[in-house]
Amino acid sequence: MSDSIDAAQAARALLEVAEAGGTGAAATVIGPPESTRLGRRMVHTVEGDSGRTLGSLGGATLDSVVVALLRDLMTDPRARDGVRRIGAKEDASGEVELYVEVRRPVRELILVGAGHIAQPMAHLGALLGYRVTVLDDRPDFATRERFPDADRLIRADFSDPFAEIELHERSHLLLVTRGHKYDYECLIRALRADPAPAYVGMIGSRRRVRATYVQLIDEGFEREVLERIHAPVGLDIGAETPEEIAVAVAAELVLLDRGGSGFSLRSVERVAERFFDSTGSGEPRDRETPP
Amino acid sequence: MTHEDDRTLAYALIAAREAGRACVLATIVATKGSTPRKVGARMLVDPDQGLVGTVGGGCGEAEVIESAHRVLECGVPERVRVDLTEDFTSWSPAVCGGVMDVFVELVGQVDRPSRRPS
Repeated sequence: MSDSIDAAQAARALLEVAEAGGTGAAATVIGPPESTRLGRRMVHTVEGDSGRTLGSLGGATLDSVVVALLRDLMTDPRARDGVRRIGAKEDASGEVELYVEVRRPVRELILVGAGHIAQPMAHLGALLGYRVTVLDDRPDFATRERFPDADRLIRADFSDPFAEIELHERSHLLLVTRGHKYDYECLIRALRADPAPAYVGMIGSRRRVRATYVQLIDEGFEREVLERIHAPVGLDIGAETPEEIAVAVAAELVLLDRGGSGFSLRSVERVAERFFDSTGSGEPRDRETPP
Repeated sequence: MTHEDDRTLAYALIAAREAGRACVLATIVATKGSTPRKVGARMLVDPDQGLVGTVGGGCGEAEVIESAHRVLECGVPERVRVDLTEDFTSWSPAVCGGVMDVFVELVGQVDRPSRRPS
């Protein structure tokens, strides 16, 4: 019977697997309070076809039940971290309460162009948990001073911008180069990438974007491919400054990830309307009987 | 937790462990109602380096830090229920409206004997 692993070992294992594009999960015994296993922890990781288990909760039967549970959680994209109970029948020493957590492959945000919008976007991307990469053909722009939050700074030629990086289903691209000509070249590369990136956003006014679509249709791109492009980019929040535009794009990324409505919550909840009579009498409702 | 939070915390944990320092990890394992942070939020209480991360700040976090001192002392993990359901109309900072369970555990070794079998 192997030993439990501690939180530091577990954190390192989960971080490493997520950064390598794999999935990992941990289970920690958090109850019942009198359990002799309190604080014991195990980790299961899957990278490609290979699964690996680290640590033990202190019982072969319990371990195998928990590994099965962790594997189920890892394959269910809607599974949430939290408390799970293992019944007494699976474990001779009685019921066990576990805290389970899953780490999925790290999402990447790739900023093509290191200009005014890329700077606040790198901050927001890191804040939202993306691993941020900044590409530019100008070495003076893609610098550590300008992008303290970026994971990678790459000098790239826009005629072959993704030569040094691997694009995959977790890649989120934002095309914000210094010229629309370069944005367009990079856009074509992004649309031809296989597997297709999760998000391809391109900066540009409505007019500019329209011209791009016309060009793409002339190049023979199908409607399904065009529909993958996020341009004009971001949510409609009236953004004007580079920082505001970055917020609009960040909001769009969260929306796609979480599946919200994009509306203001006050107009979804309509609190004022619920508290006042809909007949327009102006009299507040009785607060003891919630609408 | 964002990936960056995760990474910051993992590095802080690894650093403490490599320096042979015992510290305490607090994890929100369950919440009910509105709480400032959700399940999975973590805070490391490192007696040498202070706090890394947050489980929501304010009075709730203070309760967790108190528990961390006990855990550091005797090595036995605790589960703390933090109640933030004071009356909404009060000016108390604990008016988020929810309850959260925080698991507080030792990372590394304490010199004192503990009742927890290894």
